Amino acid sequence: MKKALFITSLLALSLASCSVPKVAKSTAYQQMYEQEPLTILLMPPINRTTNVEAKEYFHTTLNVPLANAGYYVIPPFLSMEILKKESAYDAELFLDTPLKTFGEIFGADLAVFTIINKWDKSAIGATVKVEVEYIIKSTLTNEVLYNRKGEVVYDASVSTGAGGILGLVADLAVSALNTAATQYVEVAKACNTYTFKDLPTGKYNPKYKVDGEELAGPKDFTVRLKNGVY
Amino acid sequence: MKKTFLILSVVIIAVSCSAPKQLYSWEKYEAASYNYIKNSDEASLATLLENYEKVISKQKGTRRVVPPGIHADYGFILMTTGRVAEGKDMLAKEMELYPESKIFIDRILKMTEL
Repeated sequence: MKKALFITSLLALSLASCSVPKVAKSTAYQQMYEQEPLTILLMPPINRTTNVEAKEYFHTTLNVPLANAGYYVIPPFLSMEILKKESAYDAELFLDTPLKTFGEIFGADLAVFTIINKWDKSAIGATVKVEVEYIIKSTLTNEVLYNRKGEVVYDASVSTGAGGILGLVADLAVSALNTAATQYVEVAKACNTYTFKDLPTGKYNPKYKVDGEELAGPKDFTVRLKNGVY
Repeated sequence: MKKTFLILSVVIIAVSCSAPKQLYSWEKYEAASYNYIKNSDEASLATLLENYEKVISKQKGTRRVVPPGIHADYGFILMTTGRVAEGKDMLAKEMELYPESKIFIDRILKMTEL
């Protein structure tokens, strides 16, 4: 009986992890479809937490999910250098100002702002609670084209308690994480990857322009992510 | 028997939620980038350059094309470490693959001339 209950709840959990949002992407992110942006500039993340490292955890993990979605992401080391030389490294200054210059300097259609509001490690160190907001603005019209804010609890604990095949799958994922820093990079990666899953695809993705009927995720969300599974 | 079936279905559902194969493969791009920013020493530089090299030569993504920015950052870092000619070749490759990069690559070339 107990086992059946456990298995049923596992089933329910895995189903719930594919939860159902309700608005179509073409409605939620209408301007993303109308403006047809291609090139993305990553603004240095705005870190409002006391953990100074959090900024770089995010900065180094934003590129991959956006490029995989089909966009041209201006390479982060290069853009960092240009932003520093142009004295534009503090993204906070540009949150509410015209972004036309970034369009001219980089050829960027979009600027991605990341605001890290919370980065709390649990006492035992097995979980990290992150509060992060993503704002994608058009450099052309200055409009916010995409905005999501997540409260993410990242669970890095090794034992899932599931045992069997599931336990093994989880253990394999964990073995890839070695140092503490790498593990925190993984936390930021999980936040970025999870959030941008509903981003309309860009030109280099085969689903470009045909994913409008897919559903957008909720603007504000709370999620618990396990290591390696997001 | 019944239990095996149930566990199997859990696994299948869990797997079906996971992301399909991605447009690009990146090796350990994020960790390598982070370590280089953090340490900027010989070892972290070597690891990062090796990672770029692998992304270029062993690209396993569905698009079968090197991801945007890899040649450009690779080239830029080579140039900052004194390997200017190799670096410029990489930047040229980026512009060939992704013409939209020309605008800021021209800028960085101008900047590094100064």
